[in-house]
Amino acid sequence: MTAAPYNYSYIFKYIIIGDMGVGKSCLLHQFTEKKFMADCPHTIGVEFGTRIMEVNGQKVKLQIWDTAGQERFRAVTRSYYRGAAGALMVYDITRRSTYNHLSSWLTDARNLTNPNTVIILIGNKADLEAQRDVTYEEAKQFAEENGLLFLEASAKTGENVEEAFLEAAKRIYQNIQDGSLDLNAAESGVQHKPSAPPGGRINTDSQPPKEGCSC
Amino acid sequence: MSFFKRKAKSKEPERVTEAKVNKAPPSPQSPSQGLRNHHAIQESAGPSHVAINAISANMDSFARGRTAILKKQPSHMEAAHFGDLGHSCVNYQQEDRSRLSKTVEHVLRDSVAIPHYVHFMEHRGADHLVRFWLESESFRATSWSRVRAHSLNSVKHSSLAEPLPASPGRTPELPQLGQHTADVLSRESSSEGPAVHMERRDSSITETILSPGTPRAETPSRQTPSRTGTPCKVQPNSTLQDLSELMKSIEKEAVNIFTKYISPDAVRPIPITEPIRNDIVAKICGEDGMVDPNSFVVAQSVVFIILEQQHFSEFLRSHHFCKYQIEVLTSGSVFLADILFCESALFYFSEYMEKEEAMNVLQFWLAADNFQNQLAAKKGQYDGQEAQNDAMILYDKYFSLQATNPLGFGDSVRMEIESNICREGGPLPDCFTTPLRQAWTTMEKVYMPGFLSSNLYYKYLSDLINSVRADEFVNVNTPGQGGPTDNERSSSNASEGSQTQPGAKRAAIKILKNFDEAITVDVASLDPESLYQRPYAGRMTFGKVNEMGQFIREAEPEPDVKKSKGSIFSQAMKKWVQGNSDEAQEEMAWQIAKMIVNDVVHQSGHDSPGKSTKL
Repeated sequence: MTAAPYNYSYIFKYIIIGDMGVGKSCLLHQFTEKKFMADCPHTIGVEFGTRIMEVNGQKVKLQIWDTAGQERFRAVTRSYYRGAAGALMVYDITRRSTYNHLSSWLTDARNLTNPNTVIILIGNKADLEAQRDVTYEEAKQFAEENGLLFLEASAKTGENVEEAFLEAAKRIYQNIQDGSLDLNAAESGVQHKPSAPPGGRINTDSQPPKEGCSC
Repeated sequence: MSFFKRKAKSKEPERVTEAKVNKAPPSPQSPSQGLRNHHAIQESAGPSHVAINAISANMDSFARGRTAILKKQPSHMEAAHFGDLGHSCVNYQQEDRSRLSKTVEHVLRDSVAIPHYVHFMEHRGADHLVRFWLESESFRATSWSRVRAHSLNSVKHSSLAEPLPASPGRTPELPQLGQHTADVLSRESSSEGPAVHMERRDSSITETILSPGTPRAETPSRQTPSRTGTPCKVQPNSTLQDLSELMKSIEKEAVNIFTKYISPDAVRPIPITEPIRNDIVAKICGEDGMVDPNSFVVAQSVVFIILEQQHFSEFLRSHHFCKYQIEVLTSGSVFLADILFCESALFYFSEYMEKEEAMNVLQFWLAADNFQNQLAAKKGQYDGQEAQNDAMILYDKYFSLQATNPLGFGDSVRMEIESNICREGGPLPDCFTTPLRQAWTTMEKVYMPGFLSSNLYYKYLSDLINSVRADEFVNVNTPGQGGPTDNERSSSNASEGSQTQPGAKRAAIKILKNFDEAITVDVASLDPESLYQRPYAGRMTFGKVNEMGQFIREAEPEPDVKKSKGSIFSQAMKKWVQGNSDEAQEEMAWQIAKMIVNDVVHQSGHDSPGKSTKL
C-alpha cells in the first residue's frame, strides 16, 4: 500500500460471524475484491481484509475480520469479537438452520463486544430466490426486535454488499457524532487519524492490499 | 535451508547510506507523514508540538527507512529478504498470553497488576475481598514451604527416634509473614506482592509432619507451646523449639487473617457462610494441634468466584486496567505476545502490518495458530480427515508451489509440512510449528521494533491514556467522592473538571445530546460553581518553563482559538469529552513523548544522548 496510505481519517474494525457456509468469506471477498469466489475453501480460524470507503464525506478504512463458522473454531474466534465497532451477522436465506442459529450468534456478539457495537443482520444468497427458506419479513422482524440493521444481499451478484458495510459504517459514524462512541477510547474498535487533506471527491474505489483475503 | 532467501547485498548499501545520511525523510511518504503529524498535534495548542512532531517524524521515518530498504526485493516473493531468523528470545511455544489481556487468575498472581486491581476495588468498596485472597494465598504458600523446609531439616538430623515429649522452650518469635504481607499490601507497592507463588501441596510430607505421634488435647486458645507433631527428633530441644516456633507463627498469621476477615466481629468480613467459617475455625485449631495451611482455601474460592463474576468485567473496562496496560506497554520491554494476544493492540498492529505490506505473515500466523490451538484443545479426539482438510487449506494458500499467498518458505520447511499433514492419522497439533516459529520471529525481529516506534503505537498509547485521563478528571476534581465506577466511556462524558455531583453532570450532558453538533458548548460552563472559580487567579505570570523545556500555561486558554482547528464536529467532541482538552492533550502528548523516547532508546539498545536531543 505505497500509494497514499494515509488518506483515510478513521479505521473501523468489523467482524463477520455466522454459521459455516453462509457466505461470510465470499461477502468479504466481494467487498474487497469485487469478485465472487465460487470455490472458496472454508476459513481456518480467522482472516482479515480491508477496504477504504467514504462515509458522510469522510474516508473510512474498514478492517474486517472474517471468522470461521465451523463449530470447532468457535472458541478461538471468540477472542476476536472484543473491540469491534461493527459486526455483520450472516445467515443463508436458503437454509433455515442458519437462521435458527442466529440467537446463539447474537448472544455471543452481545456478550463479547461493546455495548455500542453496531450489529447488522445479513441474509445472504439473495440471488437464489427459488430456494428461499426464510422470508424477508420474518427476518426483518427478528432484526427489529433485537435492534439490528437488516439487509438481504448476494455475494455472488454483489447486490447490497457495499450497502451492508456502508450502513453499519454510517451507524457507527453517527454514534461517534452523538457521543455514544468515544473514538479516543482504546477498545472502541475505531482508530481516529487526523483529518485527511481535503479532497472532496466521492471516491469509494477500494485499495485492496496485495495480500488481502483470497478466500 | 533458509526460510526466506537472502538477496545479494549489492543494492542495499546505497539505500542504506541514503536513508541514513538524509535526515530528511528517506521515503516519499514522509512529507505527508510530517503533515499528518502536524495535523494530529495541531488540536492542542502550545509550543510542544514542534517537539512532538520532531519525535514522531523521526521515529516514523526511522521505521520507513529500514523497511524501504527491504522493500527492494522482488514482489513475487513477499518477504524473501528475511532468512530464517532463528529462535525468538522467548520460547515460542510457551507464548500464548498477552500481559495485556487478563483473567482474574492472572491478575491475582501478577505483581504489576495487583496494585491497579486493589485501587479499582477500593473504589468499589470491595478491596477487602482482594486483600483477603492475597493474604490467605500468601499464608498458604509460605506455611507450606516453611513446613516442608522444616521437615527436610529435621529429616536431615533425624535418627528415626521415637516421638519425644515436648519441652516448653521460650524462644523469640519468628517474623510474622502475615504481617509482612499486610505491610506489602498496605504500601501497595508492586515490587513484592504475594511472597511465594504456585506452591503446591505435598500431601505425603504433610502427613508425616502433621499427624502427631501422640494425640493432644485441644485447647481453643493456644497459649502453651507444648506441641509437637514430628515423629523424628534428634536434637530434641532445638528442633522441637523450631517446630513449635514455626507452628506458633503460622497460627498467629492464621488468627490474624481470621480476625481481619472471617470473624463475625471483623470490620469487613468476607461474605461466607457459617459452615465455612466453622470449618476454618476447626482447621486453625486443629485436633492435632497443627494449623492447616489450607485453612482458608474454601473461603478463597468463594471470594474468587465473587471477584470473577461481580467485579472483573468492570475492572477490564476501568481506567485502572488501562493504567496497567500503559504500565506494561511503556515498561521498555513489550513482547510480541503482548501485542498479538491482545485484541486492542492487535487492531493497531494489523494496520501497521498492512502498511508494511506484510499482512500475509500475520494472516498465516493467525490462521495456523488458531488451527493448532483448536486441534490441541481436542486432546487427541478429533477427526483426522477433517484436520487434514484444514491443514491442506493452509498448505495450498501459503506453502505449495502454486500457493496463492506464498510466503517464500524454503523447500525443507515445505517438505516437513507435507509429511506432517500426510502422516497417518492426520496432522498433529504441532503440524505447523516450524513455520509458525519463523513467522513469529520475523514479526518480532523485523516488524515489531518499527511498530513500537510508529505513530500507530503512539496513537494506541494515547487512546489508552485518554481513557485513563478522562476518568481521572472526575477523581481528581471531586476529592472525597469515590469516582464513578462505570466504564470509561460514560465517565469520560462526565469528566468536565468541575465539582458538581456526577449525576448532575451526566444530566447536563444528556441535554446537550439533543443539540446540533455544530454548537460547541462547554459543559463546564453550565456548572454554576465553576463560573466563580478562578484556579489561576492571583498569579501574575502567564506561565513557566519546566525541566523538560515544556511551557506550563498558567492562564486560561482562549476558547475561540480552538474553533478554527479541525472540524467543528471533532472540536465539539473534544469539548464534551475532555473539557480542558488543551491541557489534557498536551500533557498526554508530553507523557507519550517521554515514553516513546524511553522505548526507542531501550529498543535500540544504547543510551546515546543523541536520541534525547530530539526533544
